[in-house]
Amino acid sequence: MRFRFCGDLDCPDWVLAEISTLAKISSVKMKLLCAQVLKDLLGEGIDYDKVAKLTADAKFESGDIKASVAVLSFILSSAAKHDVDSESLSSELQQLGLPKAGVEGKNVQFDLEEHTTGLCKSYEDKHSALQDKLRETSLRLGQLEDVSWRVDYTLSSSELREVNEPAIQLKLQLNGAESGASETKVVSVSAEKFRVLLAELKQGQTMMNALQ
Amino acid sequence: MAASLSRLPITGCLKLCHRVVDGLCGQEPPHRGDYSATWSLEEWMELINSLTALFRMVVGNNSSDEEMLAELVDLDSGHAQALLSVLRAREEEIHHALLERTISISCATLQDFDWQLKLALSSDKISSLHTPLLSLNLDVRENGHLQPVTVEMNREELNTLISSLEAANKVVLQLK
Repeated sequence: MRFRFCGDLDCPDWVLAEISTLAKISSVKMKLLCAQVLKDLLGEGIDYDKVAKLTADAKFESGDIKASVAVLSFILSSAAKHDVDSESLSSELQQLGLPKAGVEGKNVQFDLEEHTTGLCKSYEDKHSALQDKLRETSLRLGQLEDVSWRVDYTLSSSELREVNEPAIQLKLQLNGAESGASETKVVSVSAEKFRVLLAELKQGQTMMNALQ
Repeated sequence: MAASLSRLPITGCLKLCHRVVDGLCGQEPPHRGDYSATWSLEEWMELINSLTALFRMVVGNNSSDEEMLAELVDLDSGHAQALLSVLRAREEEIHHALLERTISISCATLQDFDWQLKLALSSDKISSLHTPLLSLNLDVRENGHLQPVTVEMNREELNTLISSLEAANKVVLQLK
């Protein structure tokens, strides 16, 4: 069977297997766990102590905790990746066996909220934030972090007695593609080249804006 | 030095001088092979160097015709006039080349650039990315070596770069 949240592919076996682990915790705890996983996905950091507390009454071992975080992480990021709406996600998860309500007999709490609804509600709230994050973390070859400039007026040089031409010093702070580390490039540009560079960049900008 | 130019007829001398200016301006310099019958290797080197130095000196110092002719006293007047005519005809080009050399006194200079506008469609992180990216390639000459600098900018980054360059351009325009 193919699932939209898996990119129209089969659901990976490990996800199938771990969904039953998720079913062991109450839906309220599950929603809180989702919130933690979403925090992790959004780069805000996950609080493992909280996660341990949330899963304590389900008697989770560390392996179960890891599995449930991993499976939630997969479901949420994969659904955002493939732009699945929360209703479709909900129905697909139910097909995979994530209970609509807390498993009877196992949870004494009167959980009327559904597992999937809890997950999907959290997903819906963070859907666009998640997609922004995914867009932001997509592969980029070199990123521009900062630009500084200085305009010089050259009066004279060993080559030419009277120069009287402006020159532009540019400092570009880049986030290197391969290294990932910040690098700084300083380059001097003649006034003429500078004019052409600016004109061409503007041309590119116009075309880029026309793409919207 | 330049006196050995008289070994060539005036038309040949004009042609050679133009080629020397070509070399000075970053185009193809004259081939020694074409003149091997006229000058020995040593004479050739000396001649080319002195001609180049002369052109650079005259344009660099903005010298008058008389000052230039004074440098060419040991050359007959026909050849000297030919040299002068080449210099005046190509003065602007030589000036431009000297400006370029002045700029390249800095440790890193922009030699050339290219850009490319791309629409990123999809990535491993998100299936529908749809983000336009402008990649800018700068060829930076640093200590004689060309170093490529590549930066990929999204809309915001490009806007930042352009508004920064605009501000600099404003100052440049005021100087003119």
